[in-house]
Amino acid sequence: MTANPVAPDKPQTPPPAHDDAHERRLRARGRRGRLDVRLSPYLYISPFFLLFALTGLFPLIYTAWVATRQWNTITGDGGVAVCGAVCGSTDPSIFANFQWVLNQPAFWDALRNTFSIFLISTIPQLIAALILAAILDANLKAKTFWRMGVLLPYVIAPSAAAIIFSQIFSDQSGLINTFLGWIGVSPVPWHANTLASHIAIASIVNFRWTGYNTLILLAAMQAIPRDVFEASVVDGAGRVRQLVSVTIPMLRPTLIFVIITSTIGGLQIFDEPQMFTQGTSGYGGPNRQFLTVSLYLWDLGFNHVSIGQPNLGRSAAVAWLLFLIVVAFAIVNFLLTRRIASAGGAPARKHHAKEVAR
Amino acid sequence: MKNATRKGFGAVAGAAVLALAASACSNGGSDDASGDTTDAGGQVTIKVSTFNNFGLGAPSDTRPGADLWAKYEAEHPNVKIDEVVAASSDDARAAFNTAISTGTGAYDIQAVDVDWMPSIMAQPDAFVDLGAYAGDNDWLDWKKEQGTTPDGKVVGLGTDIGPEGICYRSDLFAAAGLPTDRAEVATLLGGADATWDKYFEVGQQYTDATGKAWFDSSAAVFQGMVNQIEYSHVDKDGNVIAGTNPDVKAAFDKVTAAALAGQSAGLQQWSDDFNAAFKSDKFATTLCPAWFINNIKGNAGADFTGWDIADVFPGGGGNWGGSFLVVPEQSKVKEEAAKLAAWITAPEQQAAVFAAASNFPSSPTAQADPSVADKTEPFLNDAPVGQIFANRAKAVTVVPFKGAQYFDIQTKMADALNRVDVTKEQSPQQSFDQWLQDVKALS
Repeated sequence: MTANPVAPDKPQTPPPAHDDAHERRLRARGRRGRLDVRLSPYLYISPFFLLFALTGLFPLIYTAWVATRQWNTITGDGGVAVCGAVCGSTDPSIFANFQWVLNQPAFWDALRNTFSIFLISTIPQLIAALILAAILDANLKAKTFWRMGVLLPYVIAPSAAAIIFSQIFSDQSGLINTFLGWIGVSPVPWHANTLASHIAIASIVNFRWTGYNTLILLAAMQAIPRDVFEASVVDGAGRVRQLVSVTIPMLRPTLIFVIITSTIGGLQIFDEPQMFTQGTSGYGGPNRQFLTVSLYLWDLGFNHVSIGQPNLGRSAAVAWLLFLIVVAFAIVNFLLTRRIASAGGAPARKHHAKEVAR
Repeated sequence: MKNATRKGFGAVAGAAVLALAASACSNGGSDDASGDTTDAGGQVTIKVSTFNNFGLGAPSDTRPGADLWAKYEAEHPNVKIDEVVAASSDDARAAFNTAISTGTGAYDIQAVDVDWMPSIMAQPDAFVDLGAYAGDNDWLDWKKEQGTTPDGKVVGLGTDIGPEGICYRSDLFAAAGLPTDRAEVATLLGGADATWDKYFEVGQQYTDATGKAWFDSSAAVFQGMVNQIEYSHVDKDGNVIAGTNPDVKAAFDKVTAAALAGQSAGLQQWSDDFNAAFKSDKFATTLCPAWFINNIKGNAGADFTGWDIADVFPGGGGNWGGSFLVVPEQSKVKEEAAKLAAWITAPEQQAAVFAAASNFPSSPTAQADPSVADKTEPFLNDAPVGQIFANRAKAVTVVPFKGAQYFDIQTKMADALNRVDVTKEQSPQQSFDQWLQDVKALS
C-alpha cells in the first residue's frame, strides 16, 4: 500500500547525467511517498476521531451551549441564563448558570464528598490490587481459578452490588448493624454520618474494582522478565523487598494507567451513591451526606423539572464544571507521568539490566 | 511536512463536520418512536407507558392484573397493545419529560402520577383533548377537575384515586391494651371528627405503654397532613409561600414533636428498613391509601397476620396518589390511543382493576358496582375494603393545589423531616431553617 519512495520501478540503467525530467519524477515520487507515510496513519485512525466527534465532541459542545441558556426539560430553551434570587441578579449572562451552581452549598458539599469518596476508595483499592496481583503472580495451584475469582465482583452489575450492599449497610435492619448489636456495640449511622456513608460507598466501589485493577497489574507483572526476579533472589531479596524494589519500579507505566483510569472513574462516581440513597427522593442523603457531583447533576437535570426552572441549563453547567475538574486532574497526572517516565522509569530499568548482567 | 500534517487534520475535521451534518439530517427525518405503527393490513400498535402496577395487564405472581389488554385486543382485532412498565413513577417521569421536550419518542398513552400532573396541565397544547372520547365515563368532581383545563379541555382521564384510611396492627394494639375491632379503633381515633391531635394523643398512649413507635415515618405522616391543605407550598397564582404558610409550619411542628416523643419508627419512606419493618413490630399504624395495601402485603408477605384497616382518617378525608392517562399530540395513532384511554377509564374497567389489584376507582359508577362495593380483603382480616375506601373517598373535601414548584419543595421537606426523624442530626428548628434555604435555592 505504501510505495517505496526510493526504489525505482524501471530496469536499472545508469541515468544520463543531468536528466532533469527523471530527477523531477523521482523527487515528486519521493514527495508523494513521504506525504503518504505522513498522512496514511491519520487516515487509518480517522474512524475513531469521526466517532469521537459524533459521540464525544458534539455532546460536549452542545452541553456548553445548553449551560449558557435557561433550558427547562419540558419547555425547552428560554433564552440566555439568569442567576436569579440566589445571587440577587436578573441580568442575562452566559455565566449565570455557573454562578448559580457555584452559589449552591449543595455543589460544594458534592465536591467535598466526591473527593473524599475518591480518596477513601482509590488508595486502599490500588494498594490491595498491587498486593493481590503480587500474590497471584506467585506460583499458586489452580492459578486460573484464583485469577477468575478476583474478577468475579467486576462482572456483577453495579446496581446488583449496590442493592446487596444497601442491605448490608441498612441503619436498622442491616447485616453489619445487626451483628454489632449482638456484640453490644452501638450501631453505625451509615446514612446519617458523612464519613460513615463515604466508607460504606467506598467499600462498594472497592468490591467492584479491586479485581479489575488486580488483573491489569497482574498482566503487567507477568511481562517482567523472570530472570530479574531470579537475580534479586540470588541477591538475597525477600518477597516484600522484591515487590518494593523490583516489581513496583518496573510496573510504573501500568501503575500510572491504573491511577489515571481510577481517578477519572472516581471523580465521576454515580451508581453507588445513587443506589445507596434510601427510598426514592432526597438523593445523596437528607443533609447531602453522600451527594456526589455526578449525582447532583443528574438530580438537578432529571428530578427537578419544575416549569420555569432552567434545570437542564444548570445541570449542564455542573457537567462542564465536572469536566474541567477531570481535565485538570488528567493534566496533573500527565505531568506526573512525564516526570516519572524521564526521571524514574528508564534508569531503574537500566539498573536492573546491569544487575542481571552481573 | 508540516503542511501535509495540517492538511491531514483538515480533511479529518471536514469529514467530521460532514458526518455530523448527515446524522443531524437523518435524525430530523425519521426518528420517531411511534413511527411505522400501521402496516398494510390496517393493524395498529398502541404503545402504553405505565409504572409500578396499574393492574391492566395479564396477572402474574408478583403483579396482580385484570388482563384488560387481551380483552380489548379481542374486541378490536386490528389493535395491538404494547405496555412498557417503569419501575417507579420517577423513572417514568424522566423518560416522559425527555420525550415531550424533544418532541419525539413519547408513547401513545402515558400514565401520569397526580404529583407531576401540574407540568402536564401547564402545556395542554401538547396533548389530545379526550373529552369527546370519554363521553360515557364519569369521575368524582375533584378528580375530573385535576385533569381538565380552566377552559374545559380534558387532558387527562382519571384512573384510580388514593383515599386514605388508617392501617393498624391489631395484635400490637391488643398487647398495648387498645381496642382491636376496626369500628372501635375508628372511634378511638375520633371517628368522623378525627384530628391529628387526637391521632398523636392516642399514639403517645401507645408509645408510653409499650415503648414502641406509633407510626412509620414522619415524612409519610406529613404527606397525609399536607394533602389536606389547599394551598400549601404554592398559592393559586404560582407564588411560593412555603416559608410563610402557618399551616405548613404547624404540621411540621406537630409531626416533629411526635417523632421526638418516640412515636416515630424513624424510617425513611421506601427504604430497605422501611420495607422490612412491615413484618416486624416496629410500628403500629400507617396511613393507608388503597394502592398501598399491595405494598404492605408485598413487604409483610401474604401469609402475615395482624394488619387491619380502620374506616377513619385524621383531619377529615385525605387522598394520596392516583393517576391519569394522557395522549400526546405527537402520537401517530392518537385516534386509536384516545379510544383505548377512554375505554380503560370507563367504569367497568376501573372496577375490574380494583377487584384484581386494589387500585380504587375514581368513577362513582364503578365505586357503586357490587364487585367494588362488596370487596373484602383477606389479608386485612377480611376488612370490607370496598365500603371503607368508598367512605374515605366521600370524606375528601379539600383538593390540594399542586403548582409547578410543589414537587421540588415537598421533596426538600421530606429531607428536612428525615434530618430530624431518620438521621437525627438536627433539631426541628435547625432543619426547618435549612429547608427555607433549600426552597430559596429552588428559584
